[in-house]
Amino acid sequence: MSEEQILVQNGSVRRELRGFIEENFLYLEPELELSDSDDLLALGVVDSLGFVELVEEVQARFGIAVDDIEITEENFGSIDGIVAFVDRKQAA
Amino acid sequence: MSARTIGEDLRAVAAAEPDRVAVVAEDSRLTYGRLDELADRVAIGLRKLGVARGDRVALVMANSEQLAIAIYGVQRAGAAYSPLNPTIKRDKLGYVLANAEAAAVICDEDRGEVAGAAAEMAGGAPVITDVLALATDDGEPPAPALDVDLSALIYTSGSTGDPKGVTLTHRNVIFAADSIIEYLEMDARDRILCVLPLSFDYGLYQLLMSVRVGATLVLERGFAFPGRMVRLLEEERITGLPGVPTVFQVLSSLRGLSERELPDLRFLTNTGAALPAGLIDAIQRTFPRARLHSMYGLTECKRVTHLPPGQLASRPGSVGIPIPGTDAWVDDGDGGRAAPGEVGELMVRGSHVMQGYWGDPDGTAERLRPGRWPWERILATGDLFRADDEGYLYFVGRSDELIKSRGEKVMPREVEDVLLSSPDVRQAAVVGVPNRLLGEAVHAHVSPEPGQSIDAAELRRHCGAHLEDHLVPQVVVVHDDLPLTSNGKIDKRALASEARSLLPA
Repeated sequence: MSEEQILVQNGSVRRELRGFIEENFLYLEPELELSDSDDLLALGVVDSLGFVELVEEVQARFGIAVDDIEITEENFGSIDGIVAFVDRKQAA
Repeated sequence: MSARTIGEDLRAVAAAEPDRVAVVAEDSRLTYGRLDELADRVAIGLRKLGVARGDRVALVMANSEQLAIAIYGVQRAGAAYSPLNPTIKRDKLGYVLANAEAAAVICDEDRGEVAGAAAEMAGGAPVITDVLALATDDGEPPAPALDVDLSALIYTSGSTGDPKGVTLTHRNVIFAADSIIEYLEMDARDRILCVLPLSFDYGLYQLLMSVRVGATLVLERGFAFPGRMVRLLEEERITGLPGVPTVFQVLSSLRGLSERELPDLRFLTNTGAALPAGLIDAIQRTFPRARLHSMYGLTECKRVTHLPPGQLASRPGSVGIPIPGTDAWVDDGDGGRAAPGEVGELMVRGSHVMQGYWGDPDGTAERLRPGRWPWERILATGDLFRADDEGYLYFVGRSDELIKSRGEKVMPREVEDVLLSSPDVRQAAVVGVPNRLLGEAVHAHVSPEPGQSIDAAELRRHCGAHLEDHLVPQVVVVHDDLPLTSNGKIDKRALASEARSLLPA
């Protein structure tokens, strides 16, 4: 895959993720301007059950398998983190 | 010597093993010696603040070392604590503070504003946003509590919507803790991983029991990142994992966990809601070495029954037998014991039964009935059960509309009141719908006032502003009119079955 293709794909992963999070988790805080690097847990955007939904969504939507130990703050704590994780998994 | 009060037990472990780790939280380790010392110093600070023996102190804190210090500090001050959900909203907190006539509120820094506003509504109890700021050596240590004194005032959702304060003496708490310690065979070698909030009595008792036996409690703020839980299970060599069905559902769906050895993990406990049979199998495949204890209880007596792990295969749907030192039986409707197979309300006898609801004689009379002796009262659980030929108990249903979501109680009335407080809403009905992750999901059905329309997302926001997180409906369905029964009441049964029919098979 060329770098350009990856960037395009990253852009769509990012867009899809953002759409999913806004639709499912941001209804309580419509004023919140979530940036891609914001901490989803600290901001209260996603709670413990939310992460499970998020992981299931990521697996289904992007066709990757997530191992138990991979569901960490680094990989799922922010939109940037998830995009990078999906990217690594898809490249692997 | 056995400790008579919660706090004396901490003293005993700290004296014998000061360097043993009591609590691991956010990767920092609090020893028994340090927890004991800080509890004493916080108690002096509370006394200087005017907190006296028998007073109530509200705790609005997420799981942390500080929360453990606050609990034991309040006990050392001879006072009782009310552990409250840290996401509690202003109005409900105000209600609780006024009801408990709280002498002080200790909260997390980021809850200071809400707690301050609530305290003002309730008569101006002082609000402390940093428990460690209370710690001082400058003053006399307070007089300790007796075992008949109030230890904890635990608020639980009542059927009328207002929370009720369950009153537990030191003797109640210690009796329940020791009974559970006995059947779980807990001792000082245990290392318990607690992801449940200490504001939930199931979480709270993990701390209390752990300290009683001198074990180590690994305390997490939640189970947000299961990868972290897996790491803790391995690295902290966890021996006991208490959970609710949601936690086990998540863990048993993780890829790779069943291949891990986890040689130290010896027991798992479940309560809050029954485990579906398929999930029991999945848990046993994921943790083949650990024994699974299926249990049932309610805050009013902490725990009622447990199923010995050896019985799980032959009686998968049972919640077992009364916990050691207690009795529980199915009422036949006339004050006698029902025959095997007959359904009736579950009744409970023992020293774990609460003293009543705080300041609520009517509510107390509904749950606590005259007992075998003039001084004894037995607990009517409000839950319907049946027993098999050997006395093993099976949960049949609730005699009210209680929903169990994430293992926590949701009273439909409390959510409906908030829905109806929106000016657009004419009718509201809240029902529980089976959900793989939540146990039951909270579904709200509403209809608009004439000429108005309802924006479902807007209404969920309204709920989020007035209710704790677990009470906010996952789904809001807007109808023109809600279906009614022949008596003119909203037909919740029809709404619930309509929702079930939409679920994927």
